[in-house]
Amino acid sequence: MEASTKAYAERRAEAAADRAASWKQLLRRVRKYRTLLLMTLPAVLYFFINNYLPMFGVVIAFKNINFADGILGSEWIGFKNFEYLFKTSDAYIITRNTLLYNIVFIILNTVLAIALAIMLNDIKNRIVSRTFQSLILLPYLISMVIVGYLVLAMLDVEKGYMNNSILPLFGIGDISWYSETKHWPFILTIVNVWKGVGYLCIIYLAAIIGIDQEYYEAATIDGASKWQQIRSITIPLITPVVSIMTLLAIGRIFYSDFGLFYQVPLNTGVLMPVTNTIDTYVYRALITMGDLGMSSAAGLYQAAVGFVLVLVSNYIVNKKNSDNALF
Amino acid sequence: MQTNRLYQFGIIFIMLAFTLFCVFPFVLLFSASLTNDLEIVRSGYKLIPNEFSLEAYRYMWNNSTDIMRSYGITILVTVTGTAAGMAITAMVAYPMSRKEMPFRNALAFYVFFTMLFNGGLVPTYLLYTNYFDFKNTLLALILPGLLANGFYVILMRTFFAASIPKEVIESGYIDGAKEWKIFCAIVLPLSLPVLATVGLFYTIMYWNDWFNGLIYVTEKQYFSIQNLLNRILLDLQFLQNNTQQMGKGAELVAKLPLDSMRMAMAVIGIVPLIAAYPFFQKYFVKGLTIGAVKG
Amino acid sequence: MKKGKKTAFVLLALVLALTAVLAGCSGSSSGGGSGSGESSGNAAANAGKEGGEASGLKPVELVMVFAGPGEPRDFKEIEAAINKVTQAKINATVKLQMIGWAAWQQQTTLMLAGNEQVDLILSGLGTYSQTVARGQYLAMDDMLEMEGAGVKQALDDLDPAFLNAVKIGGNVYAVPSIRDLAANYGVTMRRDLVDKYNIDLDAIKTYDDLDAVFQTIKDNEPDMIPLVKYGNTIFDTHLNYYRDSLDDGFGTLPGLDNDLKVVNYFETPEYMDLLRIARRWYENGYVAKDIATSTETQYNLVKSGKAFAWLSHMKPGYQAQESKIVGMEMVSKELLPPTTATGNITSIMWSIARNSKDPQRAMMLLNLMYTDPELINLFDWGIEGKHYAKTDDPNVIDYPQGVDPANSGYNLNMGWMFGNQFLSYTWKGDSPTLWEELAEFNRVSKKSKALGFTYDSEPVKTEVAAVRNVFDQYYKALETGTVDPEVEHPKFIKAMKAAGIDKIIAEKQKQLDAWAAQQ
Repeated sequence: MEASTKAYAERRAEAAADRAASWKQLLRRVRKYRTLLLMTLPAVLYFFINNYLPMFGVVIAFKNINFADGILGSEWIGFKNFEYLFKTSDAYIITRNTLLYNIVFIILNTVLAIALAIMLNDIKNRIVSRTFQSLILLPYLISMVIVGYLVLAMLDVEKGYMNNSILPLFGIGDISWYSETKHWPFILTIVNVWKGVGYLCIIYLAAIIGIDQEYYEAATIDGASKWQQIRSITIPLITPVVSIMTLLAIGRIFYSDFGLFYQVPLNTGVLMPVTNTIDTYVYRALITMGDLGMSSAAGLYQAAVGFVLVLVSNYIVNKKNSDNALF
Repeated sequence: MQTNRLYQFGIIFIMLAFTLFCVFPFVLLFSASLTNDLEIVRSGYKLIPNEFSLEAYRYMWNNSTDIMRSYGITILVTVTGTAAGMAITAMVAYPMSRKEMPFRNALAFYVFFTMLFNGGLVPTYLLYTNYFDFKNTLLALILPGLLANGFYVILMRTFFAASIPKEVIESGYIDGAKEWKIFCAIVLPLSLPVLATVGLFYTIMYWNDWFNGLIYVTEKQYFSIQNLLNRILLDLQFLQNNTQQMGKGAELVAKLPLDSMRMAMAVIGIVPLIAAYPFFQKYFVKGLTIGAVKG
Repeated sequence: MKKGKKTAFVLLALVLALTAVLAGCSGSSSGGGSGSGESSGNAAANAGKEGGEASGLKPVELVMVFAGPGEPRDFKEIEAAINKVTQAKINATVKLQMIGWAAWQQQTTLMLAGNEQVDLILSGLGTYSQTVARGQYLAMDDMLEMEGAGVKQALDDLDPAFLNAVKIGGNVYAVPSIRDLAANYGVTMRRDLVDKYNIDLDAIKTYDDLDAVFQTIKDNEPDMIPLVKYGNTIFDTHLNYYRDSLDDGFGTLPGLDNDLKVVNYFETPEYMDLLRIARRWYENGYVAKDIATSTETQYNLVKSGKAFAWLSHMKPGYQAQESKIVGMEMVSKELLPPTTATGNITSIMWSIARNSKDPQRAMMLLNLMYTDPELINLFDWGIEGKHYAKTDDPNVIDYPQGVDPANSGYNLNMGWMFGNQFLSYTWKGDSPTLWEELAEFNRVSKKSKALGFTYDSEPVKTEVAAVRNVFDQYYKALETGTVDPEVEHPKFIKAMKAAGIDKIIAEKQKQLDAWAAQQ
């Protein structure tokens, strides 16, 4: 008993000493790395002004805004602005769509982007490789409204490419694309891949290019096959990048690309069971009401869910290998 | 050797297929911009125009004062924004990548948090217009929301952490170099691929941004090229959808540029970016000299 | 000092009011109305000028914000010319800010959220009651008695019901522009084909009569679609004839009356009949298979020779207007007589923003827009000799030599927006008495029993959000005939009920009853 209290007191004293020491150490480190700290200042300041200062605006989500009283003076209404996200028969559908599409997109885009990056990196002919690189980035450069037109050019019932030129090759009759929901999970996934993979691919390509050539040389001498090299050198060495990119994507899992889900299906009502996501739901809901509180509430809800998910997944990643974690 | 050739052939084939998949719609886009408008209405977009017409480009030529000015704005904003953005991103990302940096995780969290939560448009707008008076200025096209972005910071940090070996920095210390010197003379040259990547992303982002223009700018002389295009596209949609409420929609639609002109604007909006791409590719240099530094 | 200024204001206001009344009166006298309006307008201008200088109105810059398709080439010149007029008359300069249609709602909400200077602002466009609820407009009742007497006079001359219709909680927060404040509904067709196939316009009285017409076109012009949509669906604006949408269309008054009993229009047999017609036309091939997704405007479709007709709301002069836009001779036939609901009036209005630096002066500017033909013609048509030229009839104008619609530096053509359109010139090709016809049209239209009722969706916004999504899911397919109404319509109604339409209707009924009790 006595021994344990004593031990406890000792531990406490030790801990206090540790803390004091660690404070001192921290101070020393701050001094030592003051240049580095100073370097971060412009960005820290910018984020403070651009992102943190306006955050007082989250109160809007809990208010019924009247500008005659000002933002702060408006009436508090609790969670009433959030109700429309849950008290609707669509709540399940929009949450399901948003989540499922995002999960598919994250997995598919990551796998494809890595595969493409590896291939691009392996192509010996520089000019060929660079041409491919530029061209697969093209889709990322155009606005979704235009993409909507291009998809229509492909899928229009009467004038579209699919019905006029491609399906007949396979002996398939006309399909009325814009009135059958079953095609759209695929169409949206394809459009998403088409538009986004080039971008992601560039990131992974940069990661692969950064890998020290010595590893591959050593592996080649050991007689490792291409596939073995990819599995045991390339993939492990770009894991930190993959992991971070995935964590960031998880943070945005409750967000959806409005253009993809609204512009590309041309806001076709019949398709809504498979194209309605949280963002399109909110957009449609507020298009005439223009309620600031409600749109702010939607954003807060999406961010909060993403935030919790990232904290959890970051915790798990951190346990396994802190190099791959966000923070 | 044989399998290697086969492998080369295989990957080129796959890449070619994928590239065609990416490019095909652009052929449609380009061809539509060269098609007579009424012909588009009649028979839709075709790979090769049924009725060739330069009308859309002629229209733009006639409005070239507006379009050239918008180009100028876009280029100015893109160059300034990219340069400034890259600088502050690299400056914050590099310290974050150093394991021994104090407050490293706190900083990462601080940056990451901005990616998820924001105050929404109204407070941001009020901040920039009431306190900084950015309305109808070029700064409004550069600063709000674009200049630094958590995603790029974290991306760059990850690359720095992964591709700059500790030994390199330590050897810099041993040589008595100051932090700035190490950053400029060692870290940056070793990180060309990621700098090129982030630089490219910045360029695309600034080039394609139309939202700031839509929110902070009402005067024509500050419209960027994408802003010009998106205004037309969105107006068209809005007017068609709100005919019933406004009782005016349809007749106003008639004043907006036609299909082929919208497509032509999209084309002239992306051509410069494609032209700029090889510039970034130059820095996608393999493996570099890390080994050399280490050795 | 302060007191002196106030007195000066009052004096000036009185002078302005008096001249405005004069202008208004002469404007409404028959025959050559705008001509005499102009002369008295000039008198008003002189009086205003003297008044302005005499009373020493301080110079002020007003910011005027409105929506448009993008600044025309000579916009700055027009602004300068407008400034010359306003400086002389109310010692104010005006900064014109045009905002794109799509950006309008967001941009103006933001502009009015802070302390950015906005004096006069276009209001309505479907968001009047929300903006008032957000406290972004000033009540203008008192100013309408003083500085804005000309506005009030001009509107009351038309029909006092109109100004009454825009009140919210007993106050006026906006004044409607003087334009077509009613709409009739009909079909517009290509004149050449109507003649070619001897289509008897007098025989077309109902939708059912159109079947034969469409069939003729379909049989004889195999490459042509007889009917295209207007707006979002086949009937889009026609629905406004059948019910007063009471702001958002969720909970309506069928027949614009229904003894003020709010019902769900989508549930009525009448709506179902329309859907059956749409379906029949779709199945008979009178509309295109891709009608629900088509992004082409009716104008382009007709112009390209692909389409023959559309159904839309109309007004006097519509036929000439549409012919001009399409570039082909069109012919319009009325199917349903004119009606006016609150929405017709509140769609295009002018308000004074909470942020106004000088509300009185903003009201004076507004007053000029309702009384001063010189200013109105600048807004509507541009600069004489450059953008338009007078013809033999001094009230009828045309393009000057060498100017055409394509190269004109100012062809906004949005006279219905800038105050009192009836004081502007008429364009060659339009009826010279167009404004008288429009005034008459506004007068005889059937007024909704709920005219003047504005609805606040705040208490049921959760339900409105859900119902709006259900509506978006079904209405386009149903109203274009793309889906079978017998199957889909019951689903639509069921989904609406699940989303809470009944609660919305109950709330609307409550507000309507309260409103009716006050009348």
